[in-house]
Amino acid sequence: MNDHPENSGGDLAGEGSAHAHGQLTGKKSLQEILETATRFEQTARDFYTAMIPKVSKRIRYLVEELAAEEQEHYDLFSQLATSPDIDAQILQQIAVPVNDHRFSDCILAPDLGEHPDDQAILQYALYREHAAMEQYRQLADSTDPGPVQDLFSWLANEETRHKRELEAEYYRIIHSGGV
Amino acid sequence: MSEINYKSRGSILNPLRTLSFLARKPVTLPLEPRAAAPNYRGFHLNDWEKCIGCSTCQKICDNEAITMIHIPELPEDPVQGVRAQRPAIDYGRCCWCGLCVDVCPTASLSLSREYIHTCEQHELDSYFILPDPHGMHKRFYDHGWRKTADEDLIDLQRQSMPEREPVERLQSFDEFIDGYDTQAAILEASRCVQCGMCHDSCPAHMHAPEYIRAIWEQDLEEAVRQIYRTNPFAHVCGRVCTRRCESACSIGVRGEPVAIRWLKRYAMDHVSHERIRAIAGGQRSGNSSGRRIAIVGAGPAGLTAAYDLAREGHAVTVFEALPEAGGMMRYGIPSYRLPAERIADDIDVIRSMGVEIRCNIRIGQDITLAQLHENHDAVLLGIGLQFGRSTRIPGSDHPGVHSAVDLLRRIRLGEFVAVPPAAVVIGGGNTAMDMARSLARLQIAQHGLACVTITALEDREHLLADQEELRETGEEGITILPARGPQRCDIDDSACIDGLFTVAVRSIYDEFGRFAPCYDDSDVQLHRAGMVVEAIGQQADLALLGEELTERLAWDRGRLQTDNRGQTSEPWLWAAGDLVNGPDVIHAVADGHRAATGIGAWLAEFAEATA
Repeated sequence: MNDHPENSGGDLAGEGSAHAHGQLTGKKSLQEILETATRFEQTARDFYTAMIPKVSKRIRYLVEELAAEEQEHYDLFSQLATSPDIDAQILQQIAVPVNDHRFSDCILAPDLGEHPDDQAILQYALYREHAAMEQYRQLADSTDPGPVQDLFSWLANEETRHKRELEAEYYRIIHSGGV
Repeated sequence: MSEINYKSRGSILNPLRTLSFLARKPVTLPLEPRAAAPNYRGFHLNDWEKCIGCSTCQKICDNEAITMIHIPELPEDPVQGVRAQRPAIDYGRCCWCGLCVDVCPTASLSLSREYIHTCEQHELDSYFILPDPHGMHKRFYDHGWRKTADEDLIDLQRQSMPEREPVERLQSFDEFIDGYDTQAAILEASRCVQCGMCHDSCPAHMHAPEYIRAIWEQDLEEAVRQIYRTNPFAHVCGRVCTRRCESACSIGVRGEPVAIRWLKRYAMDHVSHERIRAIAGGQRSGNSSGRRIAIVGAGPAGLTAAYDLAREGHAVTVFEALPEAGGMMRYGIPSYRLPAERIADDIDVIRSMGVEIRCNIRIGQDITLAQLHENHDAVLLGIGLQFGRSTRIPGSDHPGVHSAVDLLRRIRLGEFVAVPPAAVVIGGGNTAMDMARSLARLQIAQHGLACVTITALEDREHLLADQEELRETGEEGITILPARGPQRCDIDDSACIDGLFTVAVRSIYDEFGRFAPCYDDSDVQLHRAGMVVEAIGQQADLALLGEELTERLAWDRGRLQTDNRGQTSEPWLWAAGDLVNGPDVIHAVADGHRAATGIGAWLAEFAEATA
């Protein structure tokens, strides 16, 4: 399965591969990372919300649910940015993964066409969840034990959970119909 | 005897003889029963772990000593063949013949070596007991009578079905299962214990015990009558039914389930078509209701509903986009499994009920749905899932990558389908198996050799295809590679398909049984082939609804929302079959009945309200 309609190299089959610390390059402050993550959720929410009137009512539930999920994540990040737990570490410099661009790319809304179908929407959503999951997992690996690492681990688990839910939905819709 | 003088009063000293007992040592016999013989027929024991509540013991008991008791705490699952009930024995009636033990399909029942039970007058109910494995008085006196292979009344082995050898099968699309002869059918029917688990598990609740009994009695017209009580696709289901009945068959607990599908086929094949038409026609109402119903799609759901509604006296017209009626039965199942003649026979019976079938009419193009609504009291959608899903992996939009649904349809339409010497099919369901086996037949015809590989995401244990399909596919030399995820199609320098890259799947489900594939990137394989066919899933073509109606209708996670009768949020519009409930012919038949009942009731309600 290709998990992104425009990215022939990024397939679901490649998920879960571990990246060594050696692959990490560059550093960003925790503040910058959280800002990027917030934009990541915000643009996704707006993207799905804008898509709601474009898609057939038959599959509208899908984009409505995705938009609601991204709104939840956005709210979460907004709260985190002001959390006293990480206030002291907000300027801490953290090594970011070499494929940081992949995560950042997701901030740009893709062109799924005027009337994307359920499979295209799910594949895009899976791609995003996968990129986020990898990003947070690697950030957790590159930080020292403490509240920041706990934060990234928790975020990685959240994205993993959401990705699994989407995979189950993908299987139900794409693979289980009339086989 | 005559020499005894009964009038004699004996010796005058006789009373003194009693005194002699005073000198004797008293003897006290224990109340404990003495050990009975090893095969003694004492009180019943029942292993609740083995017992499935099938009630065969109750049915065989001539003394009517057995009553099935519902136990709410026990699992109840008709599909698995499990009833939440256990046998209770009335020892006021039981004669300890042991027939219940000898016939028990699961061998859960036995008799113990316990034989004493006494009680006070007010405890007479204690002779009615619910046997368990521990014994009547919670003390285990060991097993007494237990059946051995010699006494077992259950025949665990089914009659083998004659079929052609794989090499011969591959030479054509001809049907390769020969069907039972009369002797085999009677022997197979005699294996049935009439427990009715099959009836409970069948989506259409077919009267299998009744038609099996009729076959055993060689009253084949009665068998057909019983079959037609619930299923107008009797020939079709006699060949390609997914047989939930057999999965639930109580004989299948220890042996091979009764070949219910093949028995249905035997009955249908051994009664003339004219007689079948007459038998089915006998169930038709003579009155006309004056109501007109349009059905979109001449598949099993639509035609079953048409059959039922026509029987009730409604005027039914079925609209079919393709040249022949039958839907996926005709255009999705290869003829070696389901010959066109048998589908035509079933449809002819449906037509004989007065159903009009208009083919080559596509709703949404030739006639709009709004027009149907205008001219009919109700419209039923039974359009199935006509479109194949694509993996959308890189290269899957190449002309050398096909949809199995399209390809199977072209083959059944009689079109020439050119195939390369090697082909690969993506998918692990029955459609993938049908596709691969069809390709193999085409390859034999065009190249003399077959080379087809199936790659499935699921591991062997979780493949979606029936076990029988998997076995036959393997017999025909087709390679099935489970647990391989499609990665991309390989396209060579001349822009032709060169094969399919797959990656190994380490696991497909998480600890909660949800789809969560985990891949092994180090294990990537190229399966060289000149053709890739996708058989992963299907979807409905809902363009006929149009945007306005689509907006008005209520949807349930991508599917048309219907109530438990099949009615959509638009009261005039109904839906049945794969469109709303999958995934096979017998489910579609059941759904067709449900919708027809719903439409009939709704029309009656409407008539009452407007009277």
